[in-house]
Amino acid sequence: MTTTTQFKVLEQNHPRVDAYEKVTGRATYASDVYLPGMLACKLLPSTRNHARIVSIDTSAAAALPGVRCVITGTDFPDIRFGSGALRDRYVMPREVVNFVGEPVAAVAADDEATAQEAIDLIKVEYEDIPSVVNPLAAMGEGAASVHPDLESYEGYGFTLGHNVSTLLDADRGDVEQAFRDADVVVEDVYRSQGINQGFLEPMACVADVEPSGRLVIYASTQGPYQIRAGLAAVLEIPVSRIRVVPMELGGGFGAKLRLAFEAFPALLAMRTGRPVKLVNTREEVFTMNGPRLPVTNYIRSGVMNDGTIVAREAYTIFDVGAYLGAGPNSGIGHGIGAYRIPNFRLRSYGVYTNKIYVGSYRASGVADMTFAVESHMDHIAHQIGMDAYDLRLHNALREGDVSVSGAVVPSNGLIETLEAIKEKIDWPRQLEDGHGLGLALCEWRSGSGPSTAAISVNDDGTVSLLTGSTDISGSDTSLAAIAAEALGIPMGSVVVAKRDTDMAPYTGQSGGSRVVYSQGTAVQRAAEETVQKLIALAAERLGVPEDALGCEDGRVYVMDNEPQGLTFAQLAAASITSRGGPIIGTASLSSMPYTPVFAAQAAEVKVDRGTGQVKVLRYIQAQDVGVAINPMAVEGQLDGGVVQGIGRALTEDQQFDPDTGAVRNPSFASYLMPLAIDLPESEVVLIKVPAEDGPFGARAVAEPPGFGPPAAIANAVYDAVGVRVKQLPLSGERVLAALNGDYDDIPFDVEALRLAEGII
Amino acid sequence: MARFDYLEPHSVDEALQMLAEHGDKTRLVAGSTDFLVRWRTGVWRPESVVCMQHVPGLDYINWNPDDGLSIGAMASVQDIELNTEVRSRYPALAAGATSFAGVQVRNLATVAGNICNASPAGDTLPALLAYNAQCRIIGPSGERSLPLDELFVGPGRTALAAGEILTEIRLPPPAPNTGGLYIKHSPRGAMDISAVGVASVVSLNDDGTCASARIALGSVAPTPLRAYGAEGRLVSQTPDAANIAEAARLASQSCNPIADVRSGADYRREMVRVLTERTLQHGVATAGDTPSFDDIRRLAVQTAW
Repeated sequence: MTTTTQFKVLEQNHPRVDAYEKVTGRATYASDVYLPGMLACKLLPSTRNHARIVSIDTSAAAALPGVRCVITGTDFPDIRFGSGALRDRYVMPREVVNFVGEPVAAVAADDEATAQEAIDLIKVEYEDIPSVVNPLAAMGEGAASVHPDLESYEGYGFTLGHNVSTLLDADRGDVEQAFRDADVVVEDVYRSQGINQGFLEPMACVADVEPSGRLVIYASTQGPYQIRAGLAAVLEIPVSRIRVVPMELGGGFGAKLRLAFEAFPALLAMRTGRPVKLVNTREEVFTMNGPRLPVTNYIRSGVMNDGTIVAREAYTIFDVGAYLGAGPNSGIGHGIGAYRIPNFRLRSYGVYTNKIYVGSYRASGVADMTFAVESHMDHIAHQIGMDAYDLRLHNALREGDVSVSGAVVPSNGLIETLEAIKEKIDWPRQLEDGHGLGLALCEWRSGSGPSTAAISVNDDGTVSLLTGSTDISGSDTSLAAIAAEALGIPMGSVVVAKRDTDMAPYTGQSGGSRVVYSQGTAVQRAAEETVQKLIALAAERLGVPEDALGCEDGRVYVMDNEPQGLTFAQLAAASITSRGGPIIGTASLSSMPYTPVFAAQAAEVKVDRGTGQVKVLRYIQAQDVGVAINPMAVEGQLDGGVVQGIGRALTEDQQFDPDTGAVRNPSFASYLMPLAIDLPESEVVLIKVPAEDGPFGARAVAEPPGFGPPAAIANAVYDAVGVRVKQLPLSGERVLAALNGDYDDIPFDVEALRLAEGII
Repeated sequence: MARFDYLEPHSVDEALQMLAEHGDKTRLVAGSTDFLVRWRTGVWRPESVVCMQHVPGLDYINWNPDDGLSIGAMASVQDIELNTEVRSRYPALAAGATSFAGVQVRNLATVAGNICNASPAGDTLPALLAYNAQCRIIGPSGERSLPLDELFVGPGRTALAAGEILTEIRLPPPAPNTGGLYIKHSPRGAMDISAVGVASVVSLNDDGTCASARIALGSVAPTPLRAYGAEGRLVSQTPDAANIAEAARLASQSCNPIADVRSGADYRREMVRVLTERTLQHGVATAGDTPSFDDIRRLAVQTAW
């Protein structure tokens, strides 16, 4: 089905609506906010990973000239809050620290240097408590408790086992019988590493108190309403007393979805009556703000000789660090991947440890699951002597199948994505020594959640578009394109309003592949309502019935007599004195139907047998996008995701000290993201099977591109040199060890987990 | 941030005077690329800084057949990378320069600064050692010359006495039939600190035997170091695969690497073996040739052979 020709605005490249201000360096980020009398804030990180705070002596810091205020945990209301499913943390610890880097005090001073000098003068006396850093060890009964009072936490209720914050499960069919019936059983354990989101702009915010006493926060955030709610909770003030102004976002990838450090400058501003700015250093981003933490995946499949997978068991251990900073542990539904598997048992544990808390990152957990599932698929193919592509095609989900969550799979382009990469990379193919090909199939769903939009018509015939979503990766441009298409006006006639939480209607975060899909649907509906109102007004003024009118090119006209009509400008002018008043179209929705997103990817690699290092020579991705709202933005998302995925596959590795849990490489000099020189040319195929829901048939785009590279590259390494590395990243050291035969499988006691649940 | 007095001499004599006046609380800087990072993170807290940027006449790179190459203290790493004499006559040094940090840093950083910083991971240092670099040092009591090999004392520590300035680095003219290469081992192709770096320079006799072989290792000991034992294994021998493999094995035994966030110790040792073998093979294969800079660069930084 080809849809390209029916659009006037969509399916065409549009430069970003904010391109000019970004390119000229005039876009305003949170760190660009300067207010009269503004103070600088600095934070004191904990040096212990589990300790009671015996005392904090701030007297020398407070006495330093230029210091205006020093706060510690007890300056905040005694309220526990949560970023995930449990209320498991204080905004600043009151009695106990749980990770190295946790902020225990904050200073506001006339300038940053003075604030830092004051921080260095604060004396904290700690009394160490036994700690645990390894999540598998933490689940053992003898291990230290990260949260001894866990059972009293609000939100607790679905845990099982020691230090377990969350346990999610999904079951279907008779798993044991299916394993008994299977011709072959394949079992693997995979582990993926800590990953930093690696956004360009460190966290930054400015807090100010208005003369009315209202708190104003200028922040680098994906979720202004979520910051507002979080601040209201930890400061014990109503949300209506807070205004959050989302500034330009210099990258987030999930790290800026929720309340981060905004409460510190907020309380300091409330205490001093002066604006307070906090701009984190890169080291603080690495050591204080939640990254993704290591994931261990046990996975077992029962397979028939013809390649049909009849049973799947997966136990996933998510290290969540000190607090459930995101989640609960996601990824549960992804244990079967994009396949129809009739019998499954999936378990997903979130386990507390004394290291930095887990955060969100581009579909948290799914990339880890995809690495395991798609590596495992290749392992199955080799075990039964089947082509890895054929195995995927044979088991792939089809329309009408039932997904893990129970939703029926609607029409989609999964098979087309597979076919596209097969053709493009010319699979299967014999390559020279040390070279190999690998595949991965990725699945995700279009993001849902509360979405709102309002469109008003200006008297020059343009429209103003108001949404509560922070612009992320050009989403404002895509929303403008949706509005323009629905209204029948050019892109240039849509003004995207700058907004804050006072002005724009409530909306969910800019994350989880939801803005263009869900928010875009709200925009489309608001535009449709706007058109209806314009037609109603034109009918009234022209004295013809509404159904005799058409709307196109910024004009409402009589379909039988096209010269007769009124432009949007004329209608806007007329509306001011009309019965209905000025024209505003609005839309509001809370959730969207299940709309899957599928992508198939292929890697061609070269492995250096001397050093073990892997070079990606080609990387091809085909993704079903439904309809490309703004093709160059879509391709940008796909490119960016794959780059992040290649980093995850080969070089990125946030490391933790095995004893203290402290981050060992808190800088871009030691946390290595790939550079242009490390990357192949982008090769992207857009498959377009329109979604049954979503704006003009568009599907979500952002998350799946990053899922595939670790597995596709690991599979290609196997194809190249015959070794399967089950732990990320695929460093030269690890691959060389595998080549030399001294690579151990990851130990995993699945029996203990089965027994704990009473499964024999 | 810690404050310091900023001093800007306009001659080497004036710089010497300033160093003498301010004693050991001062730090001499050239490109400042290391200094600024360490000052901002509080590792270095000097009371004063003597900046050599405005001392004229120190940014030269001269070559002549009798004396070889002379590199002024203010010649940047980028100057070295772009210099045609360096590219054709000292390819291992060109390789070290081109694998160094990124272009912006190479524009500021100096070779002399890289030496005085004495990091075991300095990317120009193995090649300079392999080309038998001599240091010209001027101090309060006059001038002296010291082989580079004797300058490195420990991580970040050199044999420079208080008040002394490294003003020039000299590389003797290469013997006929010489070839060489530096390979930087890093997970990425650019902008990284080397996990291991190896430079080899080989000169062949007319009969194809080895007249000399010099091998220098980076990031695998407290200082960059020469692998003398491995070198000795090759001299007067035919540099065939077996002899090169044996020399590479000896080189890997001569280092003392640590395990850190970049790499394990055993892997580093193994990389010394692999990179020594590759640099020696390349040196032998290109002895007497003028390799293209594109090849040198590719071999120096590519992540997979």
